[in-house]
Amino acid sequence: MIRVVDLHKRFGPTLAVRGVSFEIQPGEVVGFLGPNGAGKTTTIRVLTGYHPATSGLAEVAGCDVRRQSLEVRRHIGYLPQEVPIYPDLRVVEFLRYRAALKGVPRRDRKAAVERAMAKAGIADVARKLVGHVSHGYRQRVGLADALVANPPILILDEPTSGLDPNQRRRVKQVVRELSAEHTILFSSHILGEVQDVCSRVIVIHRGTVRADGRPDELVAGGTRARLSVRARCPAELLREIVTVLAGVVADTIDVAEDDAAAGHGVATLRCELEPSSDPSEELGTRLQQAAVPVYGLEVERPTLEEYFYAITDGADQREELALAAAATEGGPR
Amino acid sequence: MNGALVTLKKELLSYAVSPVSWIIAVLFYFVRGFELSDLALVFAVYRADPDMFPAATYGNFSTNVMVMLVPGILTMRCFAEERRTGSIETLMTAPVTDFAVVFGKWLAAALFYAILWLPSVLVLHVLEYPAYFDVDIAFGPVFSAYLGMFLLAGFLLAFGCFASSLTDNTMLAAILTILFDGVLMKAPSWLATRIGDWGDGWYARELLAKIDVMGNFSTWFARGLIDTSQVAFFLGGIAFFLFLTWISLTSRRLA
Repeated sequence: MIRVVDLHKRFGPTLAVRGVSFEIQPGEVVGFLGPNGAGKTTTIRVLTGYHPATSGLAEVAGCDVRRQSLEVRRHIGYLPQEVPIYPDLRVVEFLRYRAALKGVPRRDRKAAVERAMAKAGIADVARKLVGHVSHGYRQRVGLADALVANPPILILDEPTSGLDPNQRRRVKQVVRELSAEHTILFSSHILGEVQDVCSRVIVIHRGTVRADGRPDELVAGGTRARLSVRARCPAELLREIVTVLAGVVADTIDVAEDDAAAGHGVATLRCELEPSSDPSEELGTRLQQAAVPVYGLEVERPTLEEYFYAITDGADQREELALAAAATEGGPR
Repeated sequence: MNGALVTLKKELLSYAVSPVSWIIAVLFYFVRGFELSDLALVFAVYRADPDMFPAATYGNFSTNVMVMLVPGILTMRCFAEERRTGSIETLMTAPVTDFAVVFGKWLAAALFYAILWLPSVLVLHVLEYPAYFDVDIAFGPVFSAYLGMFLLAGFLLAFGCFASSLTDNTMLAAILTILFDGVLMKAPSWLATRIGDWGDGWYARELLAKIDVMGNFSTWFARGLIDTSQVAFFLGGIAFFLFLTWISLTSRRLA
């Protein structure tokens, strides 16, 4: 439904998008994640025909966004980041105008506007001036605008930004309902809501795609879980038991013993685990066999937030440290 | 054309609900009412030719304001406001051609301008009553004068749309248009009197005469004469500035 191949977008000296490629199949709900300034909105604007690409290919519903811009725009319902409105029109007038502009036939217009208002949950403010409704409602007016021509593809650029938790919940609910009928590209930097709503995420950072896949698979496959165990035994014994377990990253083991002088110390061990591994059951058995009383055993799974940090700012920091180290090594002798 | 028609309707609605439009209309008819009653009095007392009455209204303050200031005020929001509020993004990503948007906005401004002007014809009709002149005013020259005025307004409104497409500052767009109006009204005749011998070569004097809008008004349209070269000048100017506006908008997709 959407195909982007080696997309570049330059604004003067700044390369905002550097070789972004991805595909979205019909019916998918894809989260487009990235920190502020990552290139999400620029990529979206290229897809909607608002900005031209500097190079690369972008296709929507099989149409090239540059050469068949009008056709592409017929297939898209777009909610921009900042919902622009005409404050002097009533909500229903604004939606009728947008429906007409998008080519909804006159005989179907009233029904289309009512359907869009019902889906976005704004029927109660239909007669209000757009300039007089709250920010949350305005966001939903923008969503109704994206829906009014019933396009097969919805591109929602940070649809929950600036909303309170209840409003965010409502928008997420609407997006979930829409996923049955539309292909959705949902841009956000709020990870929780992407995890709630999307079946797949594309993470973009500094204009490049850093990850693309199912949220749980990305997190499980890309970040280490953490094992934490507290038991009444000498620290070295605990270390010996844990070191031999499958999936434990040996050089991350950190163990400390409290109150050892009294002869009944409690050792606390923390370590990282290889992605997708879970040695907790085996560890429990081994501790039982060694007759070690266990006070706590926990495998802490990484969150999407940690994964996101690891491949964006975390990756930047590692890169900077590596560069600094290289500079130190290659410095004046 | 559907896009242009939809844009036209929406823009007309916006003009209708804008307080600025109503302030212009009220002030125009308020000032014009005083001016016309004074003119009618002068014409009645001195028994001047009432058929010259419409032409005499050209020098009025209200006419000058309508020609010099109103096109800039009406068009200043066309694109500058859309840029300022960000609604240009949803407009340009809707399945409608850029030219349809440009044409729809210009046509709405031109129609609204015409709606502001047209009731002034009724005022002339009122002056035919016995209480005033008690004669039939020749409506042929009135028609040509109004045609000329609308062509000029269309030209200035097209420039106003272009100026508005260049900036997100509505005041700047209005000032640009008003400056352009001023230059177009005053510069040709002013330059013609100052170019001296240089004007004899390169058809400079002829060129200035062609673009002397106010001079041509009194020579042609005010006398009930429709000069096709003047009509072509205004229509060409409208097409030229609408084209520039379209280029200004569409360059976003090409850059």
